Amino acid sequence: MSQRIKLHRAVFPVWVILLVLVMAAGLAAAVHVFSNGLVVTNLTDLVPWGLWIGIDLSAIALSAGAFTLSAAVYLLGWKELQPVARTAVFIGFLGYSMAMLCLLMDIGRPERFWHAVAFWNIHSPLWEVTMCVILYFTVLVLEVAPIFGEASWFKTRWPKLSHRLHNIHKIAPALAIAGLCFSLLHQSSLGATYGVLKARPIWYKPSLAVLFIVSAVIGGLALTVLASKVSALLSERANVRQDVLDKISRAIGWMLLGYLYLRFWDTLGMEYTLQPGRTEGLHLLTSGALSFNFWVGELLLGILVPAVILVSGKLRRQPRLHLLALLLTVGGLVAYRWDTNIVGQMVAFSYLPTQIEPLYTTYSPSLVEVLVGLGVIAYGLLAFTLGVRFLGIVDHNSLPEEAVEPILAMPLPVPTD
Amino acid sequence: MNSKIGRRDFIKLAAVGTAVTTITIAAKGNPLAEGKETSPYRWAMVIDQAKCVGCGECSLACQAHNDTREDAPWNRMIELEPLNGEPVYAPVPCMHCENAPCVDICPVGATYHRADGIVMMDYEKCIGCRYCQLACPYGARTFNWDKHTSANSAVPEWGEPEVERRPRGVTEKCTFCFHRIDRGLAEGLMPGIDRQATPACVAACPVGARIFGDLNDPNSPVSQALAKYPAVQLRQELGTSPRVFYLPARRAEAEESAS
Repeated sequence: MSQRIKLHRAVFPVWVILLVLVMAAGLAAAVHVFSNGLVVTNLTDLVPWGLWIGIDLSAIALSAGAFTLSAAVYLLGWKELQPVARTAVFIGFLGYSMAMLCLLMDIGRPERFWHAVAFWNIHSPLWEVTMCVILYFTVLVLEVAPIFGEASWFKTRWPKLSHRLHNIHKIAPALAIAGLCFSLLHQSSLGATYGVLKARPIWYKPSLAVLFIVSAVIGGLALTVLASKVSALLSERANVRQDVLDKISRAIGWMLLGYLYLRFWDTLGMEYTLQPGRTEGLHLLTSGALSFNFWVGELLLGILVPAVILVSGKLRRQPRLHLLALLLTVGGLVAYRWDTNIVGQMVAFSYLPTQIEPLYTTYSPSLVEVLVGLGVIAYGLLAFTLGVRFLGIVDHNSLPEEAVEPILAMPLPVPTD
Repeated sequence: MNSKIGRRDFIKLAAVGTAVTTITIAAKGNPLAEGKETSPYRWAMVIDQAKCVGCGECSLACQAHNDTREDAPWNRMIELEPLNGEPVYAPVPCMHCENAPCVDICPVGATYHRADGIVMMDYEKCIGCRYCQLACPYGARTFNWDKHTSANSAVPEWGEPEVERRPRGVTEKCTFCFHRIDRGLAEGLMPGIDRQATPACVAACPVGARIFGDLNDPNSPVSQALAKYPAVQLRQELGTSPRVFYLPARRAEAEESAS
């Protein structure tokens, strides 16, 4: 046994205990919120959506690898990606459960979370997002079920159930289609949630929906590859095919360049709409309180640097640079979600005709919000760690499942008459 | 074999999707076709800035009658740039927009239009997501960040609470005192004319700067005022079409110079 594996085995319990402690602190903070109300946060009537919404948006966006890779495997027939899709689906399952935990914390009446299912307002993007998130989470549960069923400890204990869960694989193509539909709908509608608000000019534009879905696909793929590579470095239970991951990374690099083009023109083009409130918001991004986030966090480190590393074969082949580029891509997506959520709330334009000065607000999360947020993130990390160890989430040597023919790639039947 | 199952699944899924969409559109797409209630009234408020002296009695009456928090009033009194050295005020309640952004985007339909145009809040439905606060261009909505337990300093001097306090975790806003309108109409009174049937802020104004009434009735106080003077609505350019109109302070100045 190598020195390195010994070290990893020693570190594993420390890592797990650390995460459990952070989760416990988060749980205590959550109890504090539930018993005293959202008054213990730094949220106000002017800035009602803060850190938790930021985590929620990021978790959903970073889960987009699941639907993207499932579609690639089951609809386009790129079978070599199948083990990567398995990792992505598990990350998606965790990401959506993290997002739902954050939302439960954030809404004032968590016991009414089911109201969107019972009382429909089809005009509300947020209603559509809620419905799609619930439906897509159902898809993810079905997609993750075989992973549990196939684990050896599960098989020996519950052989019958294991067989049933494994059989869900048969509908994998249908699940991929459903997942693609629900994801395209709500990933972009999350952007539209902001994009339809005429009261906040910096948000009010159709392009937010496009930017949200494009950045989600890129960030979701980046997190999937990053998590796979890091798992392979740190755990003997994980093994990856670097050549497959390398292909995805290269694609991420090119997509980042496309996204840079969209983000750049979409943002700077707003200067010329001369719309009160929008110009002020834009200045917050480009030269004000959020300018470091925008230029450095989003554009330079979040897009440009990783794009160059991932597109260039020479740089990408250096393992450390490759990992750094993936990490920066994920960070850039989080920065974009954070900036988007906060910038529209930082400038509240006056509604009074004689007062044309906009009202600037600030927000920084309270300790309680940070603890709850860290608790949710620790849950995700712990679940992934356990997934790698006990469910073989990152295992590119696993035998490919019995052939599932991609349906869209099938040749059409030739007419006989 | 597998490909057959795949195609069948695809067709089934497509069929289910189409069915759900059709049913949804049929059930929800056309609320007017469902025999929605109609009303002979279209309530509106006119605020005369030439008369308003900023005494804040409207806000106190609102705080007492609607039992609102002192730090989160439904009717905010805002001081504007002075005109010819005289202060100018804008009391800002909920605008009860005809095209209300909050009604459009509430994910559970907890805020909705009544047939007479009042934008209502269903505190039993509201999940407290606060999306409406982001959507409202007028900052008319406040959230119950905790349970409202403090004493109401405006009671009893400015009136007694007529509605229940809202629970923790829901948003709230001005309701045009719909309970006073409904109770008044049931007693044969006319809102805007009879004090008991008129929103508390309007009834309390000592200088008659607030006017209330039915836009459908050409003889109502609001219709008369709007026919006589030019009025503005806040952030008209958004297309929300507010039911609260302001007669600008500059009007008095124009009248004086004309006479």
